[in-house]
Amino acid sequence: MFFRMIFGTLIRQWKKMLMIAFTIALGASLATAMLSVMLDVGDKVNQELKTYGANITVVPKENSVLNSLYEVEDGGSTGAYLREDELGKIKTIFWAFNIVDYAPFVNTKAKLDDGTEITAVGTWFNHHMELPTGEQLDAGITSLRSWWEVTDGKWIDEQSIENRNVAMVGSALAEKLGVRMCDEIHLTGSVSDLTVKVAGIIDAGGDEDNKIFMPLDTAQTLSGLDGKVDSVEVSALTTPDNELAVKAAKDPKSLTIAQYELWYCTAYASSICYQIQEVMTDAVASPVRQVADSEGAILEKTQLLMVLITILSLIGAALGICNLVTASVMERSAEMGLMKAIGAQNSSVSGLVLTEIIITAVFGGIAGFFAGYGFAQIIGHTVFGSAINMRPAVIPIVAVLVLIVTLAGCIPAIRMLLRLSPCEVLHGK
Amino acid sequence: MSLLELKNIYKIYGDLHALDDVNLKVEKGEWLSIMGPSGSGKSTMMNIIGCMDKPSKGEVLLDGVDIAKESAKNLTMIRRDKIGLIFQQFHLVSYLTAIENVMLAQYYHSVPDEKEALEALDRVGLADRAKHLPSQLSGGEQQRVCVARALINYPEIILADEPTGNLDDANEKIVVDLFHKLHNEGTTLIVVTHDPEVAEVAQRTVYLRNGRLHKETINQHFTGEIKFDNEVSV
Ligand SMILES: Nc1ncnc2c1ncn2[C@@H]1O[C@H](COP(=O)(O)OP(=O)(O)OP(=O)(O)O)[C@@H](O)[C@H]1O
Ligand SMILES: [Mg+2]
Repeated sequence: MFFRMIFGTLIRQWKKMLMIAFTIALGASLATAMLSVMLDVGDKVNQELKTYGANITVVPKENSVLNSLYEVEDGGSTGAYLREDELGKIKTIFWAFNIVDYAPFVNTKAKLDDGTEITAVGTWFNHHMELPTGEQLDAGITSLRSWWEVTDGKWIDEQSIENRNVAMVGSALAEKLGVRMCDEIHLTGSVSDLTVKVAGIIDAGGDEDNKIFMPLDTAQTLSGLDGKVDSVEVSALTTPDNELAVKAAKDPKSLTIAQYELWYCTAYASSICYQIQEVMTDAVASPVRQVADSEGAILEKTQLLMVLITILSLIGAALGICNLVTASVMERSAEMGLMKAIGAQNSSVSGLVLTEIIITAVFGGIAGFFAGYGFAQIIGHTVFGSAINMRPAVIPIVAVLVLIVTLAGCIPAIRMLLRLSPCEVLHGK
Repeated sequence: MSLLELKNIYKIYGDLHALDDVNLKVEKGEWLSIMGPSGSGKSTMMNIIGCMDKPSKGEVLLDGVDIAKESAKNLTMIRRDKIGLIFQQFHLVSYLTAIENVMLAQYYHSVPDEKEALEALDRVGLADRAKHLPSQLSGGEQQRVCVARALINYPEIILADEPTGNLDDANEKIVVDLFHKLHNEGTTLIVVTHDPEVAEVAQRTVYLRNGRLHKETINQHFTGEIKFDNEVSV
C-alpha cells in the first residue's frame, strides 16, 4: 500500500520529481567533480608545478659564492664539483619521500669539426634508481623538463639504449647545424672526442636551444670529469614558509632545539635544502624562491576554492529542492489532509513524502555522480592535462552530502505538513 | 452515559464566535441532523467532534474521554478508531482505485484487507467498480466510495458534512438509504445538511444559528426512509 502510494505520486508528479532529481543531480555532479578533483588535485597540482621545473638547486660551495656574485653560468670555472656517487643520497634524507624528481648536470665546452664551440650538457634523462628503501625512481630531465617539446625523434630512454653516445640537440643549434634525428655529430672535448647520434631535437624555448644534451657519463668522458657533476636540480614538494622557516633559512643554529626539530621535521624548502647539504659533501642547496613558495599556497588556494564551489553548489541544490518539494506538497495538501483525516499520523505522512524524495534523490544522485565523474575528467584534462583518478572515498562522501542536502531541502515542506490541519483543506477553504 | 456530549463549547476566531456556548448530547445509535444557515458553525462543530480541531473553551466527551484535552497524536488515533468521515467534496486519492481508497483507511488503521474492502464496496453497491479510479466514477459513486471508506473500520460515529450537497436526488436517496442501513446496524450518525428532506429522515434535528443551538425537533414518525415532496422524475 505504502509503495503503491509512493509509486502513484512519483508517476503523477513525474515532472516535479524529474526536476527534483535534476536539481539533486546537478548538486551531486558538482560535488563529485570538485571532490574527485580536490582529492586528486594534490598530486595533479604537484605534477603541474613539477613541470615548472626544479625548486631546489644544489651547487658546490665555492661556485655558489661566485654564481651569486657574478651570476656565472655553466659553473666549473673554479674547478669545484659535486660527487656523482653521492647523488643517490638525496633520496635518503628525512624528507626523501617529498623529493619527486632530480637531475645532475655537468656542463662542458666541445668543439665541432668546423671549429665552433658549443656547450655540451651531461645529465640524466630517465636515470633508474633502486633506493635502499626498495622504492624505484626514474629521475631526470625527461620528467623534470616535461614542458620541453621534442620536435623530432624522442626523449633518450637511458634504460633501453645500448650505445650511450647519443644526444638531444637544442632546436636552434640543430637548425644552425642542419642536423636531424639519426644524424651524427663529431665532438671534440677537452680530453677526448666522440661521435654522438642525434636521438631527438628539443624545443625548450630558452637558451637550452643552443646546447646539446647527452647522458651524464658521455659528457664526463668528453671532458674528463668522471664522477663529477656541476649542479643538481631537485623538484621537491614543500610546505609554504612561515616565520620559523624564514628564521631557520638564515641560520639553523639560531633555533632552539624544539624549534629546530619542528623545522627539520617539516617539509619547508629550507629544511629540505639543509638535509641535502647534510648528505652531499661541500654542497650548497638553495630554494629557487618563487616556485618553492607558491607551490603549497597554490595547492591550498585551489582546494579552498573547490570546497567553496562545492558548498555553494550544495546550498543551491538544497534551495532548489526546497522550492520543488514545497510546491509538490502544496499541490497535494488536500490529499495529505485527507490522509490525516482518515487516521494517518504526522510521521507516516512525512515518511511518505520523504521516501518519495529520497527515492528521487537516489536516482538523481547516481546520475549526478556519473555526470560529475565525467565533469571531473573534463576539468582534469583541461586544467591539469591528465585524467582524474576517482578516489573510493568520494562515493560515500557524495552520498552523505546528497542525503543531507535532500533532507535539508525537505525541512520546510515537512514543517508545512506537520502544521497542516485536515479541516483546513477538507472543507474546500 | 451519552456517547458524545458537548459541554459549553466555544470556538472563537478573533472576535467571531463560530460556536457560542453549545451544549449537545448524542446517544449511542442515534441519527442526528444538524441544520443551519451558512456560516452558522456547523462545519466547525463537526471538526471538533471529528477530532480535527479543538474548541476554544468547553468539554467534548466522547465515550467519556474529554477529547478537547488530548494531544494531536491521540486525536488522530481516536479519529482513526472511532470516527468515519464523509465530506461534501468527496476527497478521494485520485491515483488510487476505489478499492485502494478504501484500503487506505485500513492501512492507517491496521492492515489493508482486500476482501474486507471489497465487502464494504459491495455494501454501497460498487463491488463491480472496485478497480476504477475516482475520475472514472460518477459523483454519486465517488460519494459511495467515501461511505465505504468511512465504515470500513467499524467506527462508532459517522460524521457527514453535507454528504448530499453535490448529489442529485437519485444519488441522495442512495446515500440516505445507506445511512439507514448503518443506523439499523447501530452506528451513530451525525449529518450536517442544508436539505430539509435529508434532515427530516433523522430521528432528531438540531438547528444552529450564529454559533448557537436555537431549536431542536424530534421526528415523531421516524422510519429512516427519505420522502420527497415532489416525486422524482427519473
Ligand atoms: N479557520 C478559521 N478562521 C477564521 N474564521 C473561521 C475559520 N473557520 C471558520 N471560520 C468562521 O466560522 C464561522 C463558521 O464557519 P463554518 O465553516 O462552521 O460554517 P458552516 O455552518 O459550516 O457554513 P457552510 O454551511 O457554509 O458550510 C464562519 O463565519 C467562518 O467564517
Ligand atoms: Mg460547512
